[in-house]
Amino acid sequence: MERPNKSPFAAIKVVECGQGISAAFGAKMLADIGAEVIKVEPPGGDLTRRRGPFPNNQPDPEKSGIFIYLNTNKRGVVADLKRPEGRDLLHKLLERADILIHNVPPPERAAQGLISQELCAKFPRLIVTSISMFGDSGPYADYKGYELTASNAGGWANLSPGASPYPELPPLKCFGSQCDFQGGAHAAFTSMAAWLHRLKSGKGQAIDVSEQEAIAAMLEMNLVHYTYAQRVASRLGQRLLGPWFIADAADGKIFCITAEEHQWKALVELMGNPEWANEEIFRDRLSRGANQDALKALMSEWISQWKVQDLYQAAQKARVPFAPINTMKDLFENPQLLERNFFAEVEQPGVGKLKVPGMPSKYGATPWAIRRPAPSLGQHSEEVFCTELGVSGENLKALRSAGVV
Amino acid sequence: MANLPLDGIRVLDFTWAWAGPFATLQLAHLGAEIIKVESTLRPCVTRAIPPFADNTPGPNRAGYYNQYNQGKKSILMSLSRPEAIEIACELVKHADVVADNFAAGVMDKLGLGYDKLRRIKPDIIMISMSGYGQTGPFKGFVGYGPPAAAAAGMFFGTGYRDGDPAEIGISYPDPNAGVFGAFAIITALAHRALTGEGQYIDQSQFETAMALMPEGLLQFEMTGQEPVRDGNHDVVMAPNECYRAAGEDEWVAISVGTEDEWRALCQAMGQPQLADDPRFKTAALRKQNESALDELITAWTRNQDRWAVTRTLQAAGVAAFPSMNARDIAEDPHLNERGYMVQLEHPEVGRRKHAGIPWKMSGTPCAVRSAAPMRGADTEAVLKELLGYSSDRVQQLMKAGILA
Repeated sequence: MERPNKSPFAAIKVVECGQGISAAFGAKMLADIGAEVIKVEPPGGDLTRRRGPFPNNQPDPEKSGIFIYLNTNKRGVVADLKRPEGRDLLHKLLERADILIHNVPPPERAAQGLISQELCAKFPRLIVTSISMFGDSGPYADYKGYELTASNAGGWANLSPGASPYPELPPLKCFGSQCDFQGGAHAAFTSMAAWLHRLKSGKGQAIDVSEQEAIAAMLEMNLVHYTYAQRVASRLGQRLLGPWFIADAADGKIFCITAEEHQWKALVELMGNPEWANEEIFRDRLSRGANQDALKALMSEWISQWKVQDLYQAAQKARVPFAPINTMKDLFENPQLLERNFFAEVEQPGVGKLKVPGMPSKYGATPWAIRRPAPSLGQHSEEVFCTELGVSGENLKALRSAGVV
Repeated sequence: MANLPLDGIRVLDFTWAWAGPFATLQLAHLGAEIIKVESTLRPCVTRAIPPFADNTPGPNRAGYYNQYNQGKKSILMSLSRPEAIEIACELVKHADVVADNFAAGVMDKLGLGYDKLRRIKPDIIMISMSGYGQTGPFKGFVGYGPPAAAAAGMFFGTGYRDGDPAEIGISYPDPNAGVFGAFAIITALAHRALTGEGQYIDQSQFETAMALMPEGLLQFEMTGQEPVRDGNHDVVMAPNECYRAAGEDEWVAISVGTEDEWRALCQAMGQPQLADDPRFKTAALRKQNESALDELITAWTRNQDRWAVTRTLQAAGVAAFPSMNARDIAEDPHLNERGYMVQLEHPEVGRRKHAGIPWKMSGTPCAVRSAAPMRGADTEAVLKELLGYSSDRVQQLMKAGILA
């Protein structure tokens, strides 16, 4: 299953290397709008091939759900960048590439031929975008990190879940690989900005994306609470505004919030104008925040009489921004997502048809499609190295038996 | 020659609250000129939410607004007046991009819909970053960040072991929509550079959050099982947790992803024999026995300083880092040495520390150019420069309540 690439970006050549999620996600964003991405995996395959989820929970490196999501629309080759022959292959790829996105940690770059300055000197038109936990410079540049590290280093986990009554429980990371996704997304848009610059100047450059910094820029008003008013926010304590809580409806959970006075007034009306709503302790959003427990107790009985979907619809009709605590099943059946064709279908060899999240920005002109499934390990090594880079069949055979590709 | 990647790009920015301004903030960082059109009737909500500088309220004193509008200009208009809409349309002629994050259909109602704007400027790029998108049965729904995280399944997947679904601490779908919005705008500019054509982009905050839920969605798709809430624990790696350190509510995050890291952790804890303990000998066993492992590690961390644990483990090649709060981040030597934290002179609040630009570019060094604008600071200058208005004309329009 391959569809033609009709995007004007088909001429942009991207090389991706490293391991895991961040670089793969950044390159995926470029692949999705039509760039031609070649993913370079180490001989053992990418880490995400071993993470799953897997069909029926049976691990198989060719069936990992996260790998498939991250790598549709890419071609895949194998090269051991820790060996000089592997680095030669990488450099052959980079000679023809516009953008390199990788997440090899700074202390491991020299051994893999990925020092940004050297690459920029050798390939002056290349955009070299590296994603790391703490950036390429500064006292923590060589520190190791994973998703949980980034969530804590960037200050997010320390605020989560928020309004927690459990000081004995630790800061809590968000579901999934959010910090790695952000590292990748920042790499994607800065790379394209650098590509726009290259159109004018003819010059490539190196971009250093720090996941810690990307997350620390997303702390809502919490960082400025300290720098403007010396308040240090915490995951403990209570919400500033009210109502703001998760409550039990008749058949599930719903998140109840009003941020502005007109929304509260609409909610009071929806509740049938109960007398308690006029109490002084609920007079404005800050007072309702300060008296959240009393407010929640009073609202809970009313909420419990509703089915989640009915309350969601009724509240939204009154422009009150409630939302259900959706499960994955709910999302696959969500009428809004279905109507907008949000889920895309991948025909993945060995797995079959899979629904995956599709393009969340609907472009009027730039085409988007799943053009090809995720590559099997080394699927395109021969096509890329021999047909496109001119490596002889014999050489490839030798590299293969030496374990380089 | 251009000094910044988006030099010469002008954005007419109708965004407000957080998601939209976060998108145009990235463009400002990259060198675009952002003309923020603020409404006289409905001041941006972030100008009205604490914290205020030194706890003194005022629209120019709000840290939230000042964080996410660095490097932009502000013009103030009464968008309910047809004369103001006419002026906005004149400005569109000089713009490359028009951005909004109103509810679906609001720009059309204002008389600023894409069909009209493309007639004014055929290659205009317009992006609407609404809560649920411009089409579909929920298109009119109010899309705030925290409920969007609930709707997208993030609350369902997040939470302590055996606990209820939990909130995620920040209004994450907002900045995430901003990041996707920045990507969409920049790629639409690249599309225009290649083909000459502009376009309209309909972006849904709900869907941008869903794009970051593949692990949960694909697990359900492949196994029929919903995600299981398990605190900070990872599906494969163990240990992977925030451990209590000495001090009031201080924690250190430790993750082990390889056998080398596991051996290094045991060595650093002074318990090398743990490495071959039958409960922990393989990654699968460590995952299976992670509660026992968590107890052992807590016993080692709980009376130590979180930075001491971090230094010991990082020196041994193990991923560890303190759980940072706002003070830790603002004062962090690494972030300050990298120039990430910025302090810019603001006419009303003076020099305040803000989070700056989370990337560095070797050829086009980005720097925050100015503090966030005072409300309406640039109305006169922008109309004079772009539309050739005289000071008198601007004053008349201000007196008439069309501009402010």
